[in-house]
Amino acid sequence: MAELTLDSVTKVFNEGGSDEVVAVDELSMGIEDGEFLVLVGPSGCGKSTTLRMIAGLETVTDGEIRLGERTINDSSPADRDIAMVFQSYALYPHMTVRENMRFGLEESTDMPDEEISATVEETAAMMGIEELLDRKPSELSGGQQQRVALGRAIVRDPSAFLMDEPLSNLDAKLRATMRTELQRLQADLGVTTVYVTHDQTEAMTMGDRIAVLDDGVLQQVGTPLECYHTPNNRFVAGFIGEPSMNFFPTTRSDGTLSAEQFSYPLPAAIASALGDATEVTLGVRPEDVELRPADGDRDDHEFDCVVDVVEPVGESNNVYLRFADAPEGETFIATISGMRNVAAGDRVVATIPPSAIHLFDDRTGEALKNRSLDDVDGVTPT
Amino acid sequence: MSTADTDARLKRLGLYAVLVAMAGFYLLPILTGLFTSITSPESYTGQSPFLPPLEPLIAETGSLSLQPWGNAFDGLARGLANSFILVIPATILSGLFGSMAAYGLTNVDWRGQVGIYALFVAGIFIPYQAVLVPLTQFWYNVVPLQSLFAPFAAFPLVQAYHWKLVALIVTHTAYGIPICTLLFRAHYKKLSDEMIEAARLDGASVSTIYRRIVLPLSIPMFAVVFIYQFTQIWNDLLFALTIVQFGDASVVTQELVGIGVSQAGTNFPLRMAAALLAALPTLVVYVLFGDKFAEGVTA
Repeated sequence: MAELTLDSVTKVFNEGGSDEVVAVDELSMGIEDGEFLVLVGPSGCGKSTTLRMIAGLETVTDGEIRLGERTINDSSPADRDIAMVFQSYALYPHMTVRENMRFGLEESTDMPDEEISATVEETAAMMGIEELLDRKPSELSGGQQQRVALGRAIVRDPSAFLMDEPLSNLDAKLRATMRTELQRLQADLGVTTVYVTHDQTEAMTMGDRIAVLDDGVLQQVGTPLECYHTPNNRFVAGFIGEPSMNFFPTTRSDGTLSAEQFSYPLPAAIASALGDATEVTLGVRPEDVELRPADGDRDDHEFDCVVDVVEPVGESNNVYLRFADAPEGETFIATISGMRNVAAGDRVVATIPPSAIHLFDDRTGEALKNRSLDDVDGVTPT
Repeated sequence: MSTADTDARLKRLGLYAVLVAMAGFYLLPILTGLFTSITSPESYTGQSPFLPPLEPLIAETGSLSLQPWGNAFDGLARGLANSFILVIPATILSGLFGSMAAYGLTNVDWRGQVGIYALFVAGIFIPYQAVLVPLTQFWYNVVPLQSLFAPFAAFPLVQAYHWKLVALIVTHTAYGIPICTLLFRAHYKKLSDEMIEAARLDGASVSTIYRRIVLPLSIPMFAVVFIYQFTQIWNDLLFALTIVQFGDASVVTQELVGIGVSQAGTNFPLRMAAALLAALPTLVVYVLFGDKFAEGVTA
């Protein structure tokens, strides 16, 4: 068990060629001993490449990877003391579950046969797969194969686990169960884990911390709630959270943001935090948008809207809204309680509370102002 | 019964009619061969070859005889033995080397492998005829295999003339490697990269991955390659004529050329029995590896 450190790690494919691709650019982060870090990002963002560099399946173009005190850049995969779980499980199809689990111990250790057998039995019992030990992978269901793949990694007792989208081939129900189980298992074993996924739900629910990657560049490392409530930039804000944050491109003059359909006066405290930025994107999470029936007076942060589509999820409704005078198709989302009744075509008033808004500089994408966290616990209609 | 049912039945009937016709078409030559091989040489002419012999082989007794088969076996025995000595090692070696080469060129990553693979592919298209003279030169003048092999003749069952078979084994192995490599490569490309990577992370070396993962997963492909190479080498006459030329080391295809031919005329029943006998081992190989073969070609 050890901490894993990435120091300015860079990966360039086809280096020097005309089709040079920088897959990972100067990535630096530390993963503490026993920590569960989720590497998340859209496909092609370099997260799998990063994992494969840690595993030793890809060479490192530049920078350093350390496991504990040891630099492992040039170690062969076998010498790194790392176990990996693949998306396809990558079980050896001609071997039984028992042989699959033994293989790594036979090849990488000098353990005597009886000890290997005992270790395999013990791990299988812990994983609840004892009765599968003599079956071939083709005789197992997807969930069972997944479990065997995990068992095969665990039995090696490595310094670090690497997991490359291990749950993405499971059906939704099983995936949710395995998410919890994997977290519990990792906490019990206390092994440093790097988990790659493109699914922001997995990232939010599983990680001690999450690292958001886009286009090979690290956007933010933080706890799931830090990334959710105080994103570093527009990319993180849009990637984390489901449904995604609403973005409105605006132009700022003094204390007012002007968008095509509305203008939004900023409280003085917020306006002063914006510096000289003029092109500003206003962001607000769907659950922070409040709806009320269209009657009474409107204040500055309330807008007349028409309900375009309602997506009931059960515990909540995703309401697609259109500004009253906006053309068809331009919508934003509000999430409201599932017990509230809204129908397409209803006229409503949407409130975008100043305390909940995020503001991003259009030039850099960086967050100029994140939502106030004073009222995280008590966001109530004002 | 509805018209749809009738249609389906008619279709089925048509299908079986075609199948029966095809079976007849393909089996008739074999049947002809079989009947010819048990016909008396004297009564061979003047009857339809695909009908059972009109005149029983042993005149006046009314019973059949397998005598031509016995004679064919006697005539071919040495050739059959030599062929087995040649074909079994040559088939196994070309398959094994082809599999290893394909693994190295497909599942192991190194610079310049495409160029090397291109050479292998080019090797498939070198015609036999183009190498006949260099081949003779090589085995008779460049490599003194005959004298190198001489000490081994002291071992039991080994004869001095076996050096020619060793030369044939090496030649056929070398000639078979490119096509075997091509066949195995197609199979290895479909192996999961993640599985090979998992084995690397599990601590297995390149050779261990081949031995413990890739080789066991190649068994269906080996069946394909074995059937192909066995038939190819067993039926070869050109290399045998070039390298063995004549004498004790003659293989079955060479022996077959001369059997049943004499000044008195051609003994067709004997030739037919010998031809069938010479084809029997390839048939047996098909039967033995047939189910694995099907797995291999459909994989």
